[in-house]
Amino acid sequence: MKQENFAKGRLGEDMARKYLEKKGYVFVEANHRNYLGEIDLIMIKKQVLNDEIIFVEVKLKIGDDFGSPEEMLSNGKLARVQRIAEAFLVLNKNKFLNFNTRIEAICIVLNADKSISRITHYDQF
Amino acid sequence: MLAKVTTVAYSGLKGQEVEVEVNIAEKGFPGFSIVGMSGKSGEEAKERIKTALLNSDVEFPNQKITVNLAPADLDKEGSMYDLPIAIGLLFAMGLVTFPKETCLFYGELSLEGTLRHTKGVFLAGLFAKEHKILKIFVPRLSANEACVLEGIQVYPVDSLKSIIRHLNGEKTIEALRNIETENLLIEQQPDFDLSEVMGQEHAKRALEIAASGGHNLLMMGPPGSGKTLLSRCLPGILPELSEKESLEVTKIYSITGNIPPGGSLVRIRPFRSPHHTTSQVGLIGGGSNLRPGEVSLAHRGVLFIDELPELSRSCLEALRQPIEDGQVSISRANGHVTFPAQFMLIAAANPCPCGYLGDPTRECKCSLMQISRYQKKLSGPILDRIDLHLSVPAVDVKKLMESSGQNGEVSMEVRSRVKQARNIQTKRFENSKLNSNSDMRNRDIKVFCKMEQDATNLLQQAVVKYALSARTYFRLIKVSRTIADLEGAENILLKHVAEALQYRVRSE
Repeated sequence: MKQENFAKGRLGEDMARKYLEKKGYVFVEANHRNYLGEIDLIMIKKQVLNDEIIFVEVKLKIGDDFGSPEEMLSNGKLARVQRIAEAFLVLNKNKFLNFNTRIEAICIVLNADKSISRITHYDQF
Repeated sequence: MLAKVTTVAYSGLKGQEVEVEVNIAEKGFPGFSIVGMSGKSGEEAKERIKTALLNSDVEFPNQKITVNLAPADLDKEGSMYDLPIAIGLLFAMGLVTFPKETCLFYGELSLEGTLRHTKGVFLAGLFAKEHKILKIFVPRLSANEACVLEGIQVYPVDSLKSIIRHLNGEKTIEALRNIETENLLIEQQPDFDLSEVMGQEHAKRALEIAASGGHNLLMMGPPGSGKTLLSRCLPGILPELSEKESLEVTKIYSITGNIPPGGSLVRIRPFRSPHHTTSQVGLIGGGSNLRPGEVSLAHRGVLFIDELPELSRSCLEALRQPIEDGQVSISRANGHVTFPAQFMLIAAANPCPCGYLGDPTRECKCSLMQISRYQKKLSGPILDRIDLHLSVPAVDVKKLMESSGQNGEVSMEVRSRVKQARNIQTKRFENSKLNSNSDMRNRDIKVFCKMEQDATNLLQQAVVKYALSARTYFRLIKVSRTIADLEGAENILLKHVAEALQYRVRSE
């Protein structure tokens, strides 16, 4: 079961990465892990003035029998992502100076046969 | 899209307009948040509204929903914001067309999508009337409360489904017709009748006087002498509530949720008998959201305290202000409110811990020390505020067994005399704010209580001999006035003062 969940998570993160790269985001790191926890995806979005470094939380669900992925993203989870992100910036002090930071979420729902039902990208909280 | 719906919040007994703003954002992470000091009940309202909408065949929007209850600095306790929030949501989703004129929505939702009996509907109606809001939508079970008010249209709502259909003009809800208040204020058969009490004629007479003038009464006697039974008969001999009084009482009962589903005006005079372990907040009122206490629930009625000396010291002393002023002002960190508290205090007590002090047949087993400690619990200031002191001796059980069935007057007869006395008082106080003799202040006494010369002489003698306080002096005059009213006498005569004195001066 645990192995299965792990594989599902990887699958979601790959899908999200491809989706965002199509939108013009640049990949930095996946499954960044520090002493506070893990961030699914870290991407960079080029802007005219300051580039943005974006921390992405990916949620994947197969079928909607147990609710939507949005419902699984609580305020507590967001706060955790924020803390990990801050730690990430401190650990990489010099690399991301003058970057704006943001947290985004990608919610993916799959059908039973693993085909994509929907991908929703939330760039505003 | 943004929607605005009007509802009402309370501070004390006054309504205040609350605007419920509901915004469904196009962008942003889906969620449902309620802001504006709604407390714990606001958090719970989310779940109720979500489920109620789902069960009313409305798909809950998977978007960022923000609800604001304005003004945001006002504490909003209670479940009555469910309906306005749900309506605001439906409006913001574009599922209902909103009426052009301002409407007031009020009520708690069940998970099923139906509306529950909600407290405070009467005050919501009153608020709407004052602010010229014509239409109010309230739960059907509580709608009768608001129906007694003229000038507003009350729409009883069964469920979310029915209100959606109504607002869209598919199937209208009929506004309830006004209930005539006069029809409601009919005489009712009392639960306890005075004729059930054997003997105790002088106690019945004292009850009659207390009821006629709204005087406070303390009954002292051994256990089983009928103190509790006598006091339970009191509501039966009190005149029925006038329309004005009934509205005042209904306000308090509505806000505390004491009106049963489907009920409208409070018709019977309140009779409250809090247990003697009551806390001070329970008795006087207060708490974090400033609720009325037992003294306010007994407004225009009777507050009966059995075993008065057992009441905690702080409660007893806290009773002083409401007895004297007829209202309680409660000041707390989060606000200041004044509740009306014009009640008759009827108290019962045993003369000593074992109860048989002065009883002819049984021996008192208490030591002098015990007796004095017991009686010391009733402080002078409290006793001073009680007009009628009555000793209720035990009834001979043999006599009880011999006499069969009815004896003495029935409550209805006594009530008719009480009503006559009250009518005289109503006429007397026509141009003042007073209601009964006990409400008179010292200055009113000079105006309304003309005494014969020999009556004045007797009173002066009594004051000197028994060292009565100034307050007692004035209270004696008030009781005499009531006794005179019961006889229909214009001036206070000697015999009236003499009778009043025997309820005051304790023979020990």
